[in-house]
Amino acid sequence: MSKKWLLAVTLGAALASGQVLAEDKLRIGTEGAYAPYNFMNDQGKLAGFEVDLGNEICKRTQMTCEFIVNEWDSIIPNLLAGNYDAIMAGMSITDERKKSITFSEEYKPVDPSLYLVKKDTKLDFDKLEGKSIGVQGATIQATFAQEKWAAKNTLKSYEKADQTLADLMAGTVDAVLADGEFVKTSAKGSNGELIVVGPEEVIGGGIGIGMRPDDAKLHEKVNATLAEMKKDGSLDELIKKYFDVGPFYKK
Amino acid sequence: MDSILNIPFIHDLIILFKPALYNIYFLVAAVPLGFVFAVLLALGKGSKNKLISVPVRTYIYAFRGSPLFIQFFMFYSMSLALNPILWKPLGLDWLMLSPLFIGPLVLVLNTAAYAAEIFYGALQSTPKGEIEAARAVGMSKKQEFRTSIWPNMLRLAWPAYTNEVVFLFHSTTLVYFTMPVINKQQDLMNKAGELYEKDYNLFLHFSAAAFYFLVVSILIFYLCNLVYKRLTRHLNVDVSLKIKPNYTR
Amino acid sequence: MFEMLPTWLTDWVGPDGMATLAYLTNGKHIAWYASVRYTLIAAVCGAGLAVVFGLLGAAAKLSNFAPLRWIGDIYTTMVRGVPDVLFLLFFPLAFEQGVEYVMAKMYCSPEAVAAAGGVACKDAQWFLSTTEYLVMACFSLGIVYGAFAANVIYGALKAVPKGQLEAAHAFGFNAREVFWRFQVRQMWVYALPGLSNVWLLLLKATSLLSLLQISDIVDWADRLGTPNYLPLAGLVHPDWRWKYYLVLFVFYILLTFLSEKFFSFLQARAGRGMARAN
Repeated sequence: MSKKWLLAVTLGAALASGQVLAEDKLRIGTEGAYAPYNFMNDQGKLAGFEVDLGNEICKRTQMTCEFIVNEWDSIIPNLLAGNYDAIMAGMSITDERKKSITFSEEYKPVDPSLYLVKKDTKLDFDKLEGKSIGVQGATIQATFAQEKWAAKNTLKSYEKADQTLADLMAGTVDAVLADGEFVKTSAKGSNGELIVVGPEEVIGGGIGIGMRPDDAKLHEKVNATLAEMKKDGSLDELIKKYFDVGPFYKK
Repeated sequence: MDSILNIPFIHDLIILFKPALYNIYFLVAAVPLGFVFAVLLALGKGSKNKLISVPVRTYIYAFRGSPLFIQFFMFYSMSLALNPILWKPLGLDWLMLSPLFIGPLVLVLNTAAYAAEIFYGALQSTPKGEIEAARAVGMSKKQEFRTSIWPNMLRLAWPAYTNEVVFLFHSTTLVYFTMPVINKQQDLMNKAGELYEKDYNLFLHFSAAAFYFLVVSILIFYLCNLVYKRLTRHLNVDVSLKIKPNYTR
Repeated sequence: MFEMLPTWLTDWVGPDGMATLAYLTNGKHIAWYASVRYTLIAAVCGAGLAVVFGLLGAAAKLSNFAPLRWIGDIYTTMVRGVPDVLFLLFFPLAFEQGVEYVMAKMYCSPEAVAAAGGVACKDAQWFLSTTEYLVMACFSLGIVYGAFAANVIYGALKAVPKGQLEAAHAFGFNAREVFWRFQVRQMWVYALPGLSNVWLLLLKATSLLSLLQISDIVDWADRLGTPNYLPLAGLVHPDWRWKYYLVLFVFYILLTFLSEKFFSFLQARAGRGMARAN
């Protein structure tokens, strides 16, 4: 009798501690193909602005971070399905997305989207006709370009942002519309092969962490940590390290 | 009329109609050329000339031995890499990089390899007596081919070739998995996946897509059966193709 | 690591060659080579399951009980009308939804379900990692190619000489024993050519694992090949994807070649003692 009781107690303790440990783990879903926000470095490990930010948040809230790589297309459905608890993948805060997930406060301000073209390309953005524009599928730029340009131009959508660049260099699209930071860093890294032209398009809100609507405890923790990081300037430091812009938050 | 359209399944079928046309386009674009190319390859494989048979055998081996998925990726990325050098200067990039061209191209190369193997097997099983009779009567090579080799090869290969056409139709789903979506051109699986991601109703959307595949597959079987009846009209047996699976693919 | 190589070798290869070698063995590439294990695991486990499902399907088709026969018939003909890609994508999603539905009924209260937006509540969510996806992929492959295998096995079961079965009956074995001990044991040699075909089909279907959220060789080839313009992220290089896909193309041809050699060996072994045409 006492042996059974002992077994029950140890099992119960194990389960309970398992639950407690589970609470302390934060699984973050990211794309892994959107430099410099999140990418796979040459050692095959995830790295980038959001990886560093996520690790910092976990350190401050004493949780263990685990990054899960997920394709962009299914990143929101898999959050809702429970594969991870938060999305940090350069996701802009938009009303459309707010219908299904909750966002934290922004950790990077609104970034106007820019057009990237190959050098020596002349495009007249006031009357663009018959050109092809490349975007990453299911992004705010894709919806924007669909509304603005699709009537008279061809829209090509790709699974990953890098593929838009590949096609741009190969000449199969005339312009790529993407987040300003992504466009600017790509232009810089291409040594003049790709240049930024055209108007700035302000689409969507800042970049935030996406979470499930019913995860109130996580919302609180994350927002508190972000507010803390904004106040003490560490967020600005990270932004400066990866994007070389700012500071935005430290007053 | 309104109430029928409101049944979700019928509604889905209507939405999926246009994407289905893309799959059918790929099938119709790939079959004729694939057939011709396969016959040439089969004849080439059996050729006594090593300069012909060795490359043909290598080609058939390579394209049967690797997945269609990889073949699509490979050809698309090669075409892309050649774009600044070759296609753009020639003004052909609208063609050479369009999924509507590369899709059928790779499908033709792939199906030709499988069908060539089928036709080659049929060539080997041609009744020797007919060929000897043709030679004895004094026919030229071309006449011999036209009267005894070609009809027999077609008749013997037809059941397995029907299989191959159905599999070709099934493989058309892979085109848009590997190539970018241009201007909302989408095929059945793409569209079904998109519908699924909006409301997670797996059974509904995938069954609607499966329905189209089933219908067209049965149609292909029916049409090929009609041809088979004509090919075997000289035999006094009632043969017909059954949907009995044959695993030569 | 490259310090261990002798100097005459490194000199002959040259500094460019060494740089290429170093690049081809960096962490990202090693991850690519290592992901081959997913392909092989999926192929082997999928094949094992396909044989199991094939046996069950064939047994169902041979059954005297009509509904079982119908189930067997539907199972074996479904792959004729519907693409394998559709099934491969369908089964994991359906299984996941099924499991979450059951767990939701067990753990979730109606308020929690409503709060989570109609999908299962937090307690009922099933965390899917690569292992789970891989297991589901194996089952999907097993079910789809089991249908093909069922046909092969059905034909092979029918090819076993009737005399053997009648003799077994005469000796007093009951129907189940006749089936398993005599018919199934003897049908392998007839089934091998068809099963080798099914294995090759399955091997080629493993290229689709990336569609099931598994970081397999195709996914890594894509990651390694897409151009990079950010020095921070690694080597800056143009679009190299065609090179990586060419490697995959050759890799699969190699796997096919090895499989064919293996099956010829199996066929020689299984057919020993049996009358052959040559």
